Amino acid sequence: MENITVGAAAEWLRSLILYIIGNELLTDIVMKFVGLGACIAVILTAAIVLTYAERKVCAFMQVRLGPNRVGGRFGLLQPIADMLKLMSKEDIIPNGCDRVVWALSPMLLFVPSALIYGLFPFDEGAVFADVNVGVFLLLAISSQSVLPFLMGGYASNSKYAYIGGMRTVAQMLSYEAPMVFSLLGVVMITGSMRMNDIVAAQAENVWFIVLQPIAFIIYIITATAETNRTPFDLVEDESEIVAGPFAEYSGMRWALFFLAEYANLLSISILTTTFFLGGWHGPFLPGVVWFWLKVLLMVFVFMWFRWTFPRTRIDQMLSFSWKVLLPLALVNMMFTGIGVYVWRSMM
Amino acid sequence: MKTYVDAAALEDIKRRFPAVEYSGEEAKPAVYISADELIALLKFLRDEMGFTRMENLTAVDYKTYFEMVYHLFAWKTADTCKDSADENLWITVKVKLDHENPEIPSVTSVFSGSEFEEREVYDLMGINITGHPDLRRILLWEGFPGHPLRKDYKQIAPPFVERITRRGH
Amino acid sequence: MAGTETYTLNMGPQHPSTHGVLRVQLELDGENIISATPIMGYLHRGVEKMLENRTYVQGVPYTDRLDYVSSMNNNFGYCRAVEELAGIEVPERAEYIRVIVAELNRIASHLVFIGSLAIDLGASTGMLYTFRDREEILDLFNLVCGARMTFHYIRIGGVNRDVQPEFIEKTYKFLEHVPEFMEEYKKILLGNEIFMSRLKGISKLSQETALSHNMTGPNIRATGIPYDIRKVDGYSVYPKFDFNVVTGKNGDNWDRFNVRYNEIFESAKIVKQALDGLPEGPFMAKVPKVLRPPKGEVFSRTEGTRGELGFYIVSDGSTKPYRVHIRRPSFVNMQGLNDMCKGYLIGDSVAAFSAIDPLMGEVDC
Repeated sequence: MENITVGAAAEWLRSLILYIIGNELLTDIVMKFVGLGACIAVILTAAIVLTYAERKVCAFMQVRLGPNRVGGRFGLLQPIADMLKLMSKEDIIPNGCDRVVWALSPMLLFVPSALIYGLFPFDEGAVFADVNVGVFLLLAISSQSVLPFLMGGYASNSKYAYIGGMRTVAQMLSYEAPMVFSLLGVVMITGSMRMNDIVAAQAENVWFIVLQPIAFIIYIITATAETNRTPFDLVEDESEIVAGPFAEYSGMRWALFFLAEYANLLSISILTTTFFLGGWHGPFLPGVVWFWLKVLLMVFVFMWFRWTFPRTRIDQMLSFSWKVLLPLALVNMMFTGIGVYVWRSMM
Repeated sequence: MKTYVDAAALEDIKRRFPAVEYSGEEAKPAVYISADELIALLKFLRDEMGFTRMENLTAVDYKTYFEMVYHLFAWKTADTCKDSADENLWITVKVKLDHENPEIPSVTSVFSGSEFEEREVYDLMGINITGHPDLRRILLWEGFPGHPLRKDYKQIAPPFVERITRRGH
Repeated sequence: MAGTETYTLNMGPQHPSTHGVLRVQLELDGENIISATPIMGYLHRGVEKMLENRTYVQGVPYTDRLDYVSSMNNNFGYCRAVEELAGIEVPERAEYIRVIVAELNRIASHLVFIGSLAIDLGASTGMLYTFRDREEILDLFNLVCGARMTFHYIRIGGVNRDVQPEFIEKTYKFLEHVPEFMEEYKKILLGNEIFMSRLKGISKLSQETALSHNMTGPNIRATGIPYDIRKVDGYSVYPKFDFNVVTGKNGDNWDRFNVRYNEIFESAKIVKQALDGLPEGPFMAKVPKVLRPPKGEVFSRTEGTRGELGFYIVSDGSTKPYRVHIRRPSFVNMQGLNDMCKGYLIGDSVAAFSAIDPLMGEVDC
């Protein structure tokens, strides 16, 4: 069973297309589109599955039933119904908004969230773009999602949205730093920034959650903050600033924000799995099964956070990042460096 | 209002403020004072007789005149917080006001917690409170016609709006 | 040269965490609050005027709609005022039943407080838990009077109908359940580090400030002043029961939360004692069919769930009150809002609204 991989499936598909087309270059181009389609399919499926899962997990934690009307007892068609509702809703454009910036914001937000899916190793050999500076590129792309929030907040011509946009900048910038430093520990041990190498290094030895427990915790916290989920959902903070940058959006534009949120939720779970939980590596079952099991576990953990914790306050949150997480990440990095040096000199 | 101030204390107040009037026959006689001396009386009650709490402040429209009503409470069992309420004292201070042009000094200088209640009296009863820090209408909007709690208040009929049919006429 | 300037943010009247239709004008410097001005009246129905045009008995259901989370306490306050005015002696069994339902309603109201504070701080799960347990109390009320929100159960001269044995049995069962669910809240809310840091030391009011704003109820008890009308006045049959006045120390939001949290236990204690000592007898006094209280006036107050609830009624000897004034605790407590918000952040303002625990039906009257 272990040799059934997505990579092998892709190889088979490639040979099939090559047989039909008969041109190497064209086949590569077609294969890139197939990969792109697969990534988008993953995101869209994830948004549908995760909305349903979030509602059910939330209901389970809140002693409720959750969706149970549309599509049988378990409300399986609820996400479809939600989607149809969002599509058919009126697109309200607020008075006095900066039309171009306002319209661009949700689209631009979706771009970085979707783009990083190209870097994820879903299985052995199943990476859309196996870049040798993978980690670096990933952080660079994901930090781009600050701007759309600020654009949306600024362009909405609403004070709530503007406060939300400002908060995003403060929050994302201050949590970027500890996140990078926590991942550096992993990169130092592996000695490579290629995602495949990081997974391979864990397959050979132990998962990095064992070697880098502090970095794991820091990463989880910062990832929660980066995706604006409770306890760090100060950006959309419905009880204070109503919905922050999303306050003035409706219908499909809002749905894009929503889609990006779930794409981000899935991507941080995938990253946690890749960096700390050994990626696709695991005994008995095919790699892709292991991969998704771990990812869904992480998704559940993030949902668990969301439905358990209250929200922090903006000053507490920022000081927590700069005064606690960043020094901790730096100390962790220093000890990792010493450890790696000692290990290499012993070898 | 379990225990009201006794006759001796009322005598005291009368001696201090000769303008004070009360009827000796009632069980719980309200102390009537003129609007000019109200602040001085309340200060005296608060500082020297221990009526530290302004429990209630309102106004009543008696058609020919208005009456401001102040219920003051002296919490004597504050330290012990016993069940027995007999030591705590009540007093009612009332001010009669002209119906045409009612005006009364604000008591916020003595009991600062009466701010909203005075605004309510101003809003619903139309009594002008002089010296109030922030005298605006509190429950109704600025420009509301009349003062609804007055007995002679007549509600103006809502404006007639033609029914809009599907064809637009 | 670039300068900074303050800006105004209108929180409400349509805002998820202003408990109805309160509007607060926040003067902000970035995220810091410079001043907060409550603007109310969006739910003003003119209850005082309406009561002038109804008979005394017809007035009772209107008091249900004041503080619709603790209607029993409002009925209680109004009926006590009318009884004092008309000189009606209430039978002891009725008093006991009134205390039982009023205290149960206090528990329900404080549960709503805990839940709404939790959801305002972003912990929506905490809210669902409290509402789940409030449901049990509503079921009890449903059993005893057939309504779940606006009860109209306490009437002038007694209560609407006698309590059934089933109610007593189920109330005992509920009381056993109280420590269980309180433990659960402790786990999800009180023990939570974020929850603590959001409440401790925030919106601090000194005893002097709280007194100068004439605050009552849990808000003033949180500053350490044991001002509880149930003890201070000792009305109804409260002196017969053994309970403590819960007070805080610092007067911050954490104390406001804790005072209400612990008051639930005290209320449960009172209900337990009242059920144990429930005397036999009539549940309704002889009240004339047409109630004409003698000419006069009365100011009667009770401890509502949000503070001192006073009714000032002037009678002109007819079947309708000449003037009714309601001293609404939430309305008076709102005066403290500015001091509770000043110098804190936007996030704290939401906690401050919640901690005052205003109910707009009562504020706007």
